[in-house]
Amino acid sequence: MRRPLVSLVAAALLLVVPGCGSSDDEPPAAAGGSQPVKVGVIPILDVAPIYLGKEKGFFSGRGIELTMETGQGGAAIVPGVVSGQFQFGFSNVTSLLIAQSRGLPLKVVSNGVASTSKDKADYSGVVTRDDSIRTAADLAGKQVAVNTLKNIGDSTIRASVRKAGGDPSSIKFTELAFPDMPAALEAGRVDAVWVVEPFLSATIAQGGRLVASNYVDTAPDLTVAVYFTSERLLRDDPDLVRRFTEAMNESLAYADAHPDEARQVLTTYTQIDEAVIGDLILPKWPAEINRESVETLASLAVQDGLVSEQPDVAALLP
Amino acid sequence: MRTGRRRWWQGAAGLAGFLLLLELIPRAGVVPDRYLPPTSRVAGALAGELGRPAFWAALGDTLAGWAIGLALAVGGGVALGLLLGSVPALRAATSSTIEFLRPIPSVALIPLAVLLFGTDLRSKLLLVVYASFWQVLIQVLHGVQDVDPVAMDTAHSYGLGRWARIRHVVWPTALPYAVTGFRLAAAVALVLAVTAELIIGSPGLGKEIAVAQTSGAVPAMYALVVVAGLLGVGVNLAARALERRVLAWHPSTRREAAA
Repeated sequence: MRRPLVSLVAAALLLVVPGCGSSDDEPPAAAGGSQPVKVGVIPILDVAPIYLGKEKGFFSGRGIELTMETGQGGAAIVPGVVSGQFQFGFSNVTSLLIAQSRGLPLKVVSNGVASTSKDKADYSGVVTRDDSIRTAADLAGKQVAVNTLKNIGDSTIRASVRKAGGDPSSIKFTELAFPDMPAALEAGRVDAVWVVEPFLSATIAQGGRLVASNYVDTAPDLTVAVYFTSERLLRDDPDLVRRFTEAMNESLAYADAHPDEARQVLTTYTQIDEAVIGDLILPKWPAEINRESVETLASLAVQDGLVSEQPDVAALLP
Repeated sequence: MRTGRRRWWQGAAGLAGFLLLLELIPRAGVVPDRYLPPTSRVAGALAGELGRPAFWAALGDTLAGWAIGLALAVGGGVALGLLLGSVPALRAATSSTIEFLRPIPSVALIPLAVLLFGTDLRSKLLLVVYASFWQVLIQVLHGVQDVDPVAMDTAHSYGLGRWARIRHVVWPTALPYAVTGFRLAAAVALVLAVTAELIIGSPGLGKEIAVAQTSGAVPAMYALVVVAGLLGVGVNLAARALERRVLAWHPSTRREAAA
Protein backbone atom coordinates (compact mmCIF):
# COMPACT_ATOMS: atom_id res chain seq x y z
CA MET A 1 0.00 0.00 0.00
CA ARG A 2 2.14 2.82 -1.22
CA ARG A 3 -0.80 4.76 -2.61
CA PRO A 4 -1.63 6.96 0.36
CA LEU A 5 2.06 7.81 0.55
CA VAL A 6 2.11 8.67 -3.11
CA SER A 7 -0.85 10.99 -2.74
CA LEU A 8 0.68 12.63 0.30
CA VAL A 9 3.95 13.24 -1.46
CA ALA A 10 2.11 14.57 -4.48
CA ALA A 11 -0.03 16.79 -2.28
CA ALA A 12 3.08 18.03 -0.48
CA LEU A 13 4.73 18.78 -3.81
CA LEU A 14 1.69 20.79 -4.80
CA LEU A 15 2.11 22.94 -1.74
CA VAL A 16 5.73 23.74 -2.41
CA VAL A 17 5.45 24.14 -6.16
CA PRO A 18 3.05 27.00 -6.70
CA GLY A 19 1.69 27.43 -10.17
CA CYS A 20 1.88 23.72 -10.90
CA GLY A 21 -0.75 22.24 -13.12
CA SER A 22 -1.67 23.04 -16.62
CA SER A 23 -5.26 24.12 -16.54
CA ASP A 24 -4.54 27.80 -16.08
CA ASP A 25 -4.22 28.48 -19.75
CA GLU A 26 -7.05 26.27 -20.93
CA PRO A 27 -9.83 28.29 -22.48
CA PRO A 28 -13.20 27.96 -20.77
CA ALA A 29 -15.54 25.74 -22.72
CA ALA A 30 -18.02 27.50 -24.91
CA ALA A 31 -21.35 28.04 -23.22
CA GLY A 32 -24.18 25.98 -24.67
CA GLY A 33 -21.91 23.29 -26.13
CA SER A 34 -20.92 20.11 -24.37
CA GLN A 35 -18.15 20.66 -21.86
CA PRO A 36 -15.64 17.85 -21.29
CA VAL A 37 -15.36 17.04 -17.58
CA LYS A 38 -13.01 14.55 -15.97
CA VAL A 39 -13.84 13.00 -12.62
CA GLY A 40 -11.28 11.07 -10.59
CA VAL A 41 -12.94 8.01 -9.04
CA ILE A 42 -11.98 4.60 -7.65
CA PRO A 43 -13.48 1.64 -9.57
CA ILE A 44 -15.47 0.31 -6.58
CA LEU A 45 -19.19 -0.06 -5.97
CA ASP A 46 -19.43 3.27 -4.07
CA VAL A 47 -19.34 5.21 -7.34
CA ALA A 48 -22.09 3.25 -9.14
CA PRO A 49 -24.40 6.33 -9.19
CA ILE A 50 -22.06 8.43 -11.34
CA TYR A 51 -21.74 5.62 -13.90
CA LEU A 52 -25.49 5.06 -13.80
CA GLY A 53 -26.16 8.80 -14.08
CA LYS A 54 -23.88 9.01 -17.09
CA GLU A 55 -25.74 6.11 -18.71
CA LYS A 56 -29.07 7.80 -17.98
CA GLY A 57 -27.93 11.06 -19.57
CA PHE A 58 -28.17 13.13 -16.37
CA PHE A 59 -24.80 14.71 -17.18
CA SER A 60 -25.04 15.03 -20.96
CA GLY A 61 -28.45 16.65 -20.51
CA ARG A 62 -26.71 19.41 -18.58
CA GLY A 63 -23.98 19.95 -21.16
CA ILE A 64 -21.42 17.82 -19.31
CA GLU A 65 -19.41 15.33 -21.33
CA LEU A 66 -18.32 13.09 -18.48
CA THR A 67 -15.16 10.95 -18.39
CA MET A 68 -14.24 8.86 -15.38
CA GLU A 69 -10.55 8.60 -14.55
CA THR A 70 -9.94 5.60 -12.32
CA GLY A 71 -6.75 5.55 -10.34
CA GLN A 72 -6.33 2.52 -8.11
CA GLY A 73 -6.87 3.60 -4.51
CA GLY A 74 -7.19 7.16 -5.62
CA ALA A 75 -3.54 8.17 -5.31
CA ALA A 76 -4.02 10.55 -8.19
CA ILE A 77 -7.40 11.97 -7.27
CA VAL A 78 -6.70 14.76 -4.76
CA PRO A 79 -3.52 16.00 -6.52
CA GLY A 80 -5.37 15.61 -9.82
CA VAL A 81 -8.21 17.86 -8.71
CA VAL A 82 -5.94 20.44 -7.06
CA SER A 83 -3.76 20.70 -10.16
CA GLY A 84 -6.77 20.89 -12.47
CA GLN A 85 -6.21 17.57 -14.29
CA PHE A 86 -9.65 16.50 -13.04
CA GLN A 87 -12.51 18.91 -12.50
CA PHE A 88 -14.02 16.74 -9.77
CA GLY A 89 -12.98 13.85 -7.56
CA PHE A 90 -14.39 11.22 -5.24
CA SER A 91 -12.92 10.84 -1.77
CA ASN A 92 -13.85 9.67 1.70
CA VAL A 93 -14.67 12.44 4.15
CA THR A 94 -11.75 11.81 6.53
CA SER A 95 -9.20 12.10 3.70
CA LEU A 96 -10.72 15.42 2.70
CA LEU A 97 -10.65 16.71 6.28
CA ILE A 98 -6.96 15.79 6.44
CA ALA A 99 -6.29 17.42 3.05
CA GLN A 100 -8.11 20.56 4.19
CA SER A 101 -6.08 20.68 7.41
CA ARG A 102 -2.95 20.73 5.24
CA GLY A 103 -4.24 23.74 3.39
CA LEU A 104 -5.35 22.13 0.12
CA PRO A 105 -8.05 24.34 -1.43
CA LEU A 106 -10.89 21.82 -1.79
CA LYS A 107 -14.66 22.15 -1.68
CA VAL A 108 -17.30 19.42 -1.46
CA VAL A 109 -19.92 19.61 -4.22
CA SER A 110 -22.23 16.67 -3.54
CA ASN A 111 -22.77 13.58 -1.46
CA GLY A 112 -20.97 10.41 -2.53
CA VAL A 113 -21.97 7.39 -0.52
CA ALA A 114 -23.48 6.69 2.90
CA SER A 115 -23.79 3.82 5.33
CA THR A 116 -27.03 1.78 5.33
CA SER A 117 -27.35 2.54 9.05
CA LYS A 118 -28.41 -1.07 9.64
CA ASP A 119 -26.24 -2.83 12.20
CA LYS A 120 -24.62 -6.01 10.77
CA ALA A 121 -26.19 -5.20 7.40
CA ASP A 122 -23.91 -2.42 6.16
CA TYR A 123 -21.56 -2.54 3.18
CA SER A 124 -18.61 -2.14 5.54
CA GLY A 125 -17.66 -4.15 8.61
CA VAL A 126 -15.00 -5.72 10.81
CA VAL A 127 -14.67 -9.47 10.32
CA THR A 128 -12.77 -12.01 12.42
CA ARG A 129 -12.15 -15.75 12.73
CA ASP A 130 -10.91 -15.42 16.31
CA ASP A 131 -13.40 -16.99 18.74
CA SER A 132 -12.24 -14.74 21.58
CA ILE A 133 -13.58 -11.70 19.69
CA ARG A 134 -17.32 -11.58 20.31
CA THR A 135 -18.03 -7.84 20.23
CA ALA A 136 -16.24 -4.73 19.05
CA ALA A 137 -14.92 -4.22 22.60
CA ASP A 138 -12.88 -7.44 22.26
CA LEU A 139 -10.88 -5.87 19.43
CA ALA A 140 -8.82 -4.07 22.10
CA GLY A 141 -5.26 -5.36 22.02
CA LYS A 142 -5.85 -7.24 18.76
CA GLN A 143 -4.26 -6.76 15.38
CA VAL A 144 -6.74 -5.26 12.92
CA ALA A 145 -6.05 -4.67 9.23
CA VAL A 146 -7.27 -1.48 7.54
CA ASN A 147 -6.66 -0.40 3.94
CA THR A 148 -5.03 2.90 4.95
CA LEU A 149 -3.62 3.81 8.33
CA LYS A 150 -4.72 7.06 9.97
CA ASN A 151 -7.84 7.36 7.88
CA ILE A 152 -11.55 6.63 7.98
CA GLY A 153 -11.07 2.90 8.68
CA ASP A 154 -9.14 3.05 11.93
CA SER A 155 -11.02 6.18 13.00
CA THR A 156 -14.46 4.55 12.70
CA ILE A 157 -13.27 1.22 14.17
CA ARG A 158 -12.06 3.10 17.25
CA ALA A 159 -15.52 4.68 17.46
CA SER A 160 -17.06 1.19 17.31
CA VAL A 161 -14.82 -0.09 20.09
CA ARG A 162 -15.48 2.98 22.24
CA LYS A 163 -19.23 2.54 21.77
CA ALA A 164 -18.98 -1.09 22.87
CA GLY A 165 -17.07 -0.04 25.98
CA GLY A 166 -13.60 -1.20 24.92
CA ASP A 167 -10.24 0.56 24.92
CA PRO A 168 -9.45 1.67 21.37
CA SER A 169 -5.92 2.84 22.20
CA SER A 170 -4.58 -0.72 22.42
CA ILE A 171 -5.73 -1.84 18.96
CA LYS A 172 -2.79 -2.61 16.72
CA PHE A 173 -3.69 -1.44 13.20
CA THR A 174 -1.87 -2.85 10.17
CA GLU A 175 -2.12 -1.66 6.61
CA LEU A 176 -3.31 -4.13 3.95
CA ALA A 177 -5.10 -3.65 0.63
CA PHE A 178 -8.76 -4.77 0.69
CA PRO A 179 -8.17 -7.53 -1.90
CA ASP A 180 -5.43 -9.04 0.31
CA MET A 181 -7.53 -9.11 3.46
CA PRO A 182 -9.55 -12.32 3.05
CA ALA A 183 -6.35 -14.33 2.56
CA ALA A 184 -4.57 -12.58 5.46
CA LEU A 185 -7.48 -13.34 7.80
CA GLU A 186 -7.71 -16.95 6.66
CA ALA A 187 -3.97 -17.45 7.17
CA GLY A 188 -4.23 -15.94 10.66
CA ARG A 189 -1.77 -13.14 9.91
CA VAL A 190 -4.17 -10.63 11.52
CA ASP A 191 -6.88 -11.07 14.16
CA ALA A 192 -9.53 -9.09 12.32
CA VAL A 193 -9.93 -7.18 9.06
CA TRP A 194 -11.95 -4.14 8.04
CA VAL A 195 -13.52 -4.88 4.69
CA VAL A 196 -16.07 -3.30 2.39
CA GLU A 197 -18.14 -4.97 -0.32
CA PRO A 198 -17.49 -7.12 -2.32
CA PHE A 199 -14.80 -8.37 0.07
CA LEU A 200 -17.14 -8.25 3.07
CA SER A 201 -19.43 -10.93 1.59
CA ALA A 202 -16.42 -12.93 0.42
CA THR A 203 -14.74 -12.89 3.83
CA ILE A 204 -17.94 -13.94 5.59
CA ALA A 205 -18.56 -16.68 3.02
CA GLN A 206 -15.12 -18.07 3.83
CA GLY A 207 -15.98 -18.55 7.47
CA GLY A 208 -15.38 -15.06 8.84
CA ARG A 209 -17.69 -13.61 11.45
CA LEU A 210 -18.94 -10.02 11.36
CA VAL A 211 -18.29 -8.41 14.75
CA ALA A 212 -18.93 -4.74 14.09
CA SER A 213 -20.49 -2.41 11.54
CA ASN A 214 -18.02 0.40 12.07
CA TYR A 215 -19.82 2.98 9.92
CA VAL A 216 -23.14 2.29 11.68
CA ASP A 217 -21.52 2.58 15.12
CA THR A 218 -19.92 5.92 14.22
CA ALA A 219 -23.03 7.95 13.42
CA PRO A 220 -26.55 7.41 12.12
CA ASP A 221 -26.69 7.75 8.30
CA LEU A 222 -22.95 8.36 8.14
CA THR A 223 -21.80 10.23 5.04
CA VAL A 224 -18.75 8.16 4.11
CA ALA A 225 -17.51 9.78 0.92
CA VAL A 226 -18.30 12.80 -1.22
CA TYR A 227 -17.53 14.39 -4.58
CA PHE A 228 -15.37 17.50 -4.42
CA THR A 229 -13.69 20.11 -6.58
CA SER A 230 -10.99 22.73 -6.23
CA GLU A 231 -11.75 26.22 -4.95
CA ARG A 232 -10.28 27.52 -8.19
CA LEU A 233 -12.85 25.76 -10.39
CA LEU A 234 -15.61 26.90 -8.05
CA ARG A 235 -14.41 30.48 -8.56
CA ASP A 236 -13.73 30.25 -12.30
CA ASP A 237 -16.75 28.24 -13.43
CA PRO A 238 -19.44 28.21 -10.74
CA ASP A 239 -22.02 27.32 -13.38
CA LEU A 240 -20.26 24.06 -14.22
CA VAL A 241 -20.05 23.17 -10.53
CA ARG A 242 -23.76 23.89 -10.14
CA ARG A 243 -24.69 21.70 -13.12
CA PHE A 244 -22.41 18.89 -11.90
CA THR A 245 -23.96 19.02 -8.44
CA GLU A 246 -27.47 18.86 -9.91
CA ALA A 247 -26.57 15.93 -12.15
CA MET A 248 -24.84 14.16 -9.26
CA ASN A 249 -27.83 14.64 -6.95
CA GLU A 250 -30.16 13.26 -9.61
CA SER A 251 -27.80 10.29 -10.14
CA LEU A 252 -27.61 9.55 -6.40
CA ALA A 253 -31.38 9.67 -5.99
CA TYR A 254 -31.87 7.48 -9.06
CA ALA A 255 -29.34 4.86 -7.93
CA ASP A 256 -30.82 4.80 -4.46
CA ALA A 257 -34.31 4.26 -5.88
CA HIS A 258 -33.19 1.67 -8.46
CA PRO A 259 -30.81 -0.76 -6.72
CA ASP A 260 -31.16 -3.35 -9.49
CA GLU A 261 -29.91 -0.88 -12.07
CA ALA A 262 -27.11 0.10 -9.72
CA ARG A 263 -26.09 -3.56 -9.49
CA GLN A 264 -26.31 -3.84 -13.26
CA VAL A 265 -24.01 -0.85 -13.86
CA LEU A 266 -21.34 -2.52 -11.70
CA THR A 267 -20.79 -5.01 -14.51
CA THR A 268 -19.74 -2.17 -16.80
CA TYR A 269 -16.79 -0.78 -14.81
CA THR A 270 -15.79 -3.48 -12.32
CA GLN A 271 -14.99 -7.14 -12.75
CA ILE A 272 -17.05 -8.26 -9.75
CA ASP A 273 -18.52 -11.70 -10.37
CA GLU A 274 -22.19 -11.54 -11.46
CA ALA A 275 -23.25 -13.97 -8.72
CA VAL A 276 -21.50 -11.81 -6.11
CA ILE A 277 -23.12 -8.65 -7.49
CA GLY A 278 -26.57 -10.12 -6.92
CA ASP A 279 -25.88 -10.83 -3.24
CA LEU A 280 -23.70 -8.00 -2.00
CA ILE A 281 -25.01 -5.32 0.33
CA LEU A 282 -25.32 -1.99 -1.45
CA PRO A 283 -24.60 1.25 0.41
CA LYS A 284 -27.13 4.10 0.54
CA TRP A 285 -26.87 6.96 -1.92
CA PRO A 286 -28.81 9.87 -0.43
CA ALA A 287 -28.53 13.15 -2.31
CA GLU A 288 -28.22 15.06 0.97
CA ILE A 289 -24.94 15.21 2.87
CA ASN A 290 -25.46 14.38 6.55
CA ARG A 291 -23.60 17.39 7.98
CA GLU A 292 -23.89 16.15 11.53
CA SER A 293 -22.09 12.92 10.63
CA VAL A 294 -19.34 14.90 8.93
CA GLU A 295 -18.92 16.88 12.16
CA THR A 296 -18.64 13.55 13.98
CA LEU A 297 -15.90 12.36 11.61
CA ALA A 298 -14.13 15.71 12.10
CA SER A 299 -14.21 15.33 15.89
CA LEU A 300 -12.96 11.74 15.59
CA ALA A 301 -10.13 12.94 13.34
CA VAL A 302 -9.07 15.36 16.07
CA GLN A 303 -9.49 12.77 18.82
CA ASP A 304 -7.42 10.19 16.91
CA GLY A 305 -4.72 12.73 16.08
CA LEU A 306 -5.28 12.62 12.30
CA VAL A 307 -5.48 16.41 12.28
CA SER A 308 -4.06 18.81 14.83
CA GLU A 309 -7.02 21.19 15.18
CA GLN A 310 -10.79 21.01 14.73
CA PRO A 311 -11.41 21.12 10.94
CA ASP A 312 -13.64 23.85 9.52
CA VAL A 313 -16.44 21.61 8.29
CA ALA A 314 -18.60 24.53 7.18
CA ALA A 315 -15.81 25.75 4.88
CA LEU A 316 -15.38 22.30 3.31
CA LEU A 317 -19.06 21.52 2.77
CA PRO A 318 -21.18 23.42 0.24
CA MET B 1 19.43 -26.29 -36.41
CA ARG B 2 18.80 -29.51 -34.46
CA THR B 3 20.05 -28.06 -31.20
CA GLY B 4 17.70 -25.12 -31.73
CA ARG B 5 14.72 -27.39 -32.17
CA ARG B 6 15.61 -29.46 -29.13
CA ARG B 7 15.90 -26.30 -27.03
CA TRP B 8 12.47 -25.21 -28.25
CA TRP B 9 10.96 -28.52 -27.13
CA GLN B 10 12.71 -28.37 -23.81
CA GLY B 11 11.42 -24.85 -23.25
CA ALA B 12 7.88 -25.92 -24.07
CA ALA B 13 8.15 -28.97 -21.80
CA GLY B 14 9.41 -26.79 -18.96
CA LEU B 15 6.50 -24.38 -19.42
CA ALA B 16 3.98 -27.24 -19.57
CA GLY B 17 5.41 -28.65 -16.36
CA PHE B 18 5.13 -25.27 -14.69
CA LEU B 19 1.50 -24.87 -15.76
CA LEU B 20 0.74 -28.41 -14.55
CA LEU B 21 2.29 -27.57 -11.19
CA LEU B 22 0.10 -24.43 -10.96
CA GLU B 23 -2.90 -26.62 -11.73
CA LEU B 24 -2.03 -29.20 -9.06
CA ILE B 25 -0.93 -26.98 -6.17
CA PRO B 26 -4.34 -25.35 -5.62
CA ARG B 27 -6.19 -28.59 -6.44
CA ALA B 28 -4.17 -30.44 -3.79
CA GLY B 29 -5.17 -27.74 -1.31
CA VAL B 30 -1.62 -26.50 -0.64
CA VAL B 31 -2.86 -22.97 -1.36
CA PRO B 32 -6.60 -22.13 -1.25
CA ASP B 33 -7.82 -22.03 -4.85
CA ARG B 34 -9.68 -18.74 -4.31
CA TYR B 35 -6.32 -16.99 -3.96
CA LEU B 36 -4.39 -19.05 -6.52
CA PRO B 37 -6.85 -20.47 -9.05
CA PRO B 38 -5.68 -23.55 -10.99
CA THR B 39 -4.35 -23.04 -14.52
CA SER B 40 -7.56 -24.34 -16.09
CA ARG B 41 -9.69 -21.68 -14.38
CA VAL B 42 -7.21 -18.93 -15.28
CA ALA B 43 -7.35 -20.18 -18.88
CA GLY B 44 -11.15 -19.91 -18.74
CA ALA B 45 -10.90 -16.34 -17.44
CA LEU B 46 -8.36 -15.57 -20.16
CA ALA B 47 -10.82 -16.76 -22.79
CA GLY B 48 -13.42 -14.48 -21.20
CA GLU B 49 -11.00 -11.56 -21.37
CA LEU B 50 -10.30 -12.16 -25.05
CA GLY B 51 -14.01 -11.62 -25.68
CA ARG B 52 -14.11 -8.20 -24.00
CA PRO B 53 -13.53 -5.15 -26.21
CA ALA B 54 -12.18 -3.34 -23.13
CA PHE B 55 -9.39 -5.91 -22.93
CA TRP B 56 -8.24 -5.25 -26.47
CA ALA B 57 -8.38 -1.52 -25.92
CA ALA B 58 -6.25 -1.95 -22.80
CA LEU B 59 -3.77 -4.13 -24.68
CA GLY B 60 -3.55 -1.47 -27.38
CA ASP B 61 -2.98 1.27 -24.78
CA THR B 62 -0.18 -0.70 -23.15
CA LEU B 63 1.51 -1.42 -26.47
CA ALA B 64 1.13 2.20 -27.62
CA GLY B 65 2.69 3.51 -24.40
CA TRP B 66 5.48 0.96 -24.68
CA ALA B 67 6.23 1.67 -28.34
CA ILE B 68 6.13 5.47 -28.12
CA GLY B 69 8.16 5.49 -24.91
CA LEU B 70 10.71 3.09 -26.32
CA ALA B 71 11.06 5.06 -29.55
CA LEU B 72 11.67 8.28 -27.62
CA ALA B 73 14.17 6.59 -25.32
CA VAL B 74 16.09 4.92 -28.15
CA GLY B 75 16.10 8.02 -30.31
CA GLY B 76 17.22 10.25 -27.47
CA GLY B 77 19.67 7.73 -26.05
CA VAL B 78 21.42 7.10 -29.36
CA ALA B 79 21.63 10.77 -30.31
CA LEU B 80 22.86 11.93 -26.92
CA GLY B 81 25.17 8.92 -26.56
CA LEU B 82 26.89 9.65 -29.88
CA LEU B 83 27.20 13.34 -29.04
CA LEU B 84 28.52 12.89 -25.50
CA GLY B 85 30.75 10.00 -26.52
CA SER B 86 32.37 11.90 -29.39
CA VAL B 87 33.15 15.03 -27.38
CA PRO B 88 35.43 14.08 -24.45
CA ALA B 89 34.89 17.40 -22.66
CA LEU B 90 31.10 16.94 -22.72
CA ARG B 91 31.41 13.37 -21.54
CA ALA B 92 33.60 14.41 -18.61
CA ALA B 93 31.22 17.21 -17.70
CA THR B 94 28.10 15.02 -17.74
CA SER B 95 29.33 11.67 -16.40
CA SER B 96 28.75 12.41 -12.72
CA THR B 97 25.29 13.86 -13.47
CA ILE B 98 24.41 10.73 -15.43
CA GLU B 99 25.64 8.51 -12.62
CA PHE B 100 23.49 10.52 -10.22
CA LEU B 101 20.30 10.42 -12.31
CA ARG B 102 20.58 6.88 -13.64
CA PRO B 103 19.95 4.95 -10.40
CA ILE B 104 16.81 6.94 -9.52
CA PRO B 105 14.02 4.36 -9.82
CA SER B 106 11.45 5.44 -12.35
CA VAL B 107 8.61 4.61 -9.93
CA ALA B 108 9.96 7.28 -7.58
CA LEU B 109 8.85 9.79 -10.20
CA ILE B 110 5.20 8.72 -9.97
CA PRO B 111 4.12 11.64 -7.74
CA LEU B 112 5.79 14.04 -10.15
CA ALA B 113 4.19 12.33 -13.16
CA VAL B 114 0.74 12.50 -11.57
CA LEU B 115 1.24 16.13 -10.68
CA LEU B 116 2.31 17.13 -14.18
CA PHE B 117 0.13 14.94 -16.36
CA GLY B 118 -2.57 13.30 -14.22
CA THR B 119 -3.44 9.79 -15.35
CA ASP B 120 -3.06 10.24 -19.09
CA LEU B 121 -0.55 8.75 -21.52
CA ARG B 122 2.13 11.34 -20.75
CA SER B 123 2.46 10.09 -17.15
CA LYS B 124 3.13 6.62 -18.47
CA LEU B 125 5.59 7.94 -21.05
CA LEU B 126 7.53 9.86 -18.41
CA LEU B 127 8.16 6.65 -16.45
CA VAL B 128 8.82 4.51 -19.52
CA VAL B 129 11.22 6.97 -21.14
CA TYR B 130 13.07 7.69 -17.91
CA ALA B 131 13.66 4.01 -17.20
CA SER B 132 14.63 2.89 -20.68
CA PHE B 133 16.60 5.96 -21.79
CA TRP B 134 19.58 5.18 -19.52
CA GLN B 135 19.84 1.62 -20.82
CA VAL B 136 20.39 2.95 -24.34
CA LEU B 137 22.52 5.93 -23.41
CA ILE B 138 24.99 3.95 -21.29
CA GLN B 139 25.36 1.25 -23.95
CA VAL B 140 25.95 3.79 -26.71
CA LEU B 141 28.51 5.64 -24.56
CA HIS B 142 30.38 2.37 -24.02
CA GLY B 143 30.12 1.63 -27.73
CA VAL B 144 31.64 4.97 -28.69
CA GLN B 145 34.47 4.40 -26.20
CA ASP B 146 35.17 1.08 -27.87
CA VAL B 147 36.09 2.65 -31.21
CA ASP B 148 39.50 1.44 -32.36
CA PRO B 149 41.89 4.46 -32.19
CA VAL B 150 43.88 3.09 -35.13
CA ALA B 151 40.74 2.97 -37.26
CA MET B 152 39.94 6.51 -36.19
CA ASP B 153 43.46 7.72 -37.03
CA THR B 154 43.27 5.94 -40.35
CA ALA B 155 40.00 7.66 -41.12
CA HIS B 156 41.65 10.96 -40.22
CA SER B 157 44.57 10.25 -42.54
CA TYR B 158 42.20 9.51 -45.38
CA GLY B 159 40.67 12.90 -44.81
CA LEU B 160 37.22 11.75 -43.65
CA GLY B 161 35.19 14.57 -42.14
CA ARG B 162 33.54 14.44 -38.71
CA TRP B 163 30.23 13.20 -40.10
CA ALA B 164 31.86 10.55 -42.28
CA ARG B 165 33.94 9.30 -39.33
CA ILE B 166 30.78 8.93 -37.22
CA ARG B 167 28.99 7.23 -40.08
CA HIS B 168 31.76 4.79 -41.08
CA VAL B 169 33.85 4.26 -37.94
CA VAL B 170 31.93 5.18 -34.78
CA TRP B 171 28.48 3.96 -35.78
CA PRO B 172 29.45 0.41 -36.84
CA THR B 173 31.34 0.00 -33.56
CA ALA B 174 28.58 1.44 -31.41
CA LEU B 175 25.70 -0.30 -33.19
CA PRO B 176 25.98 -3.69 -31.41
CA TYR B 177 26.01 -1.82 -28.11
CA ALA B 178 23.03 0.30 -29.14
CA VAL B 179 21.10 -2.82 -30.14
CA THR B 180 21.87 -4.43 -26.79
CA GLY B 181 20.66 -1.23 -25.16
CA PHE B 182 17.51 -1.40 -27.26
CA ARG B 183 16.83 -4.99 -26.17
CA LEU B 184 17.28 -4.13 -22.48
CA ALA B 185 15.21 -0.97 -22.89
CA ALA B 186 12.39 -2.87 -24.63
CA ALA B 187 11.93 -5.12 -21.59
CA VAL B 188 12.27 -2.31 -19.06
CA ALA B 189 9.82 -0.15 -21.02
CA LEU B 190 7.15 -2.85 -20.83
CA VAL B 191 7.67 -3.29 -17.09
CA LEU B 192 7.30 0.43 -16.51
CA ALA B 193 4.30 0.78 -18.84
CA VAL B 194 2.39 -1.84 -16.85
CA THR B 195 3.61 -0.41 -13.54
CA ALA B 196 2.40 3.07 -14.48
CA GLU B 197 -1.02 1.69 -15.38
CA LEU B 198 -1.21 -0.35 -12.21
CA ILE B 199 -0.26 2.46 -9.83
CA ILE B 200 -1.26 5.68 -11.56
CA GLY B 201 -4.27 4.25 -13.34
CA SER B 202 -3.31 5.21 -16.89
CA PRO B 203 -5.42 3.18 -19.32
CA GLY B 204 -3.91 -0.21 -20.15
CA LEU B 205 -3.38 -3.78 -18.99
CA GLY B 206 -2.04 -2.70 -15.60
CA LYS B 207 -5.21 -0.74 -14.90
CA GLU B 208 -7.32 -3.75 -15.90
CA ILE B 209 -5.29 -5.84 -13.44
CA ALA B 210 -6.00 -3.27 -10.73
CA VAL B 211 -9.73 -3.24 -11.53
CA ALA B 212 -9.88 -7.06 -11.43
CA GLN B 213 -8.05 -6.97 -8.11
CA THR B 214 -10.33 -4.37 -6.50
CA SER B 215 -13.29 -6.40 -7.77
CA GLY B 216 -12.05 -9.60 -6.16
CA ALA B 217 -12.00 -11.22 -9.61
CA VAL B 218 -8.97 -13.39 -8.90
CA PRO B 219 -8.95 -15.63 -12.02
CA ALA B 220 -9.37 -12.60 -14.29
CA MET B 221 -6.51 -10.87 -12.49
CA TYR B 222 -4.21 -13.84 -13.06
CA ALA B 223 -5.35 -14.07 -16.67
CA LEU B 224 -4.28 -10.45 -17.21
CA VAL B 225 -0.99 -11.08 -15.44
CA VAL B 226 -0.43 -13.98 -17.84
CA VAL B 227 -1.11 -11.66 -20.77
CA ALA B 228 1.48 -9.21 -19.40
CA GLY B 229 3.95 -12.10 -19.16
CA LEU B 230 3.23 -13.21 -22.73
CA LEU B 231 3.77 -9.63 -23.89
CA GLY B 232 7.17 -9.71 -22.22
CA VAL B 233 8.08 -12.93 -24.03
CA GLY B 234 6.89 -11.44 -27.31
CA VAL B 235 8.87 -8.25 -26.80
CA ASN B 236 12.02 -10.21 -26.03
CA LEU B 237 11.61 -12.48 -29.07
CA ALA B 238 10.98 -9.51 -31.33
CA ALA B 239 13.97 -7.62 -29.94
CA ARG B 240 16.22 -10.64 -30.49
CA ALA B 241 14.95 -11.11 -34.03
CA LEU B 242 15.64 -7.46 -34.73
CA GLU B 243 19.09 -7.79 -33.19
CA ARG B 244 19.93 -10.70 -35.50
CA ARG B 245 18.66 -8.79 -38.51
CA VAL B 246 20.44 -5.52 -37.81
CA LEU B 247 23.69 -7.20 -36.81
CA ALA B 248 23.67 -9.92 -39.47
CA TRP B 249 27.12 -8.69 -40.58
CA HIS B 250 28.58 -8.68 -37.08
CA PRO B 251 30.99 -11.48 -36.02
CA SER B 252 29.00 -12.26 -32.83
CA THR B 253 25.84 -12.98 -34.81
CA ARG B 254 27.66 -14.80 -37.61
CA ARG B 255 29.37 -17.14 -35.15
CA GLU B 256 26.04 -17.92 -33.47
CA ALA B 257 24.49 -18.77 -36.84
CA ALA B 258 27.39 -21.03 -37.77
CA ALA B 259 27.18 -23.05 -34.58
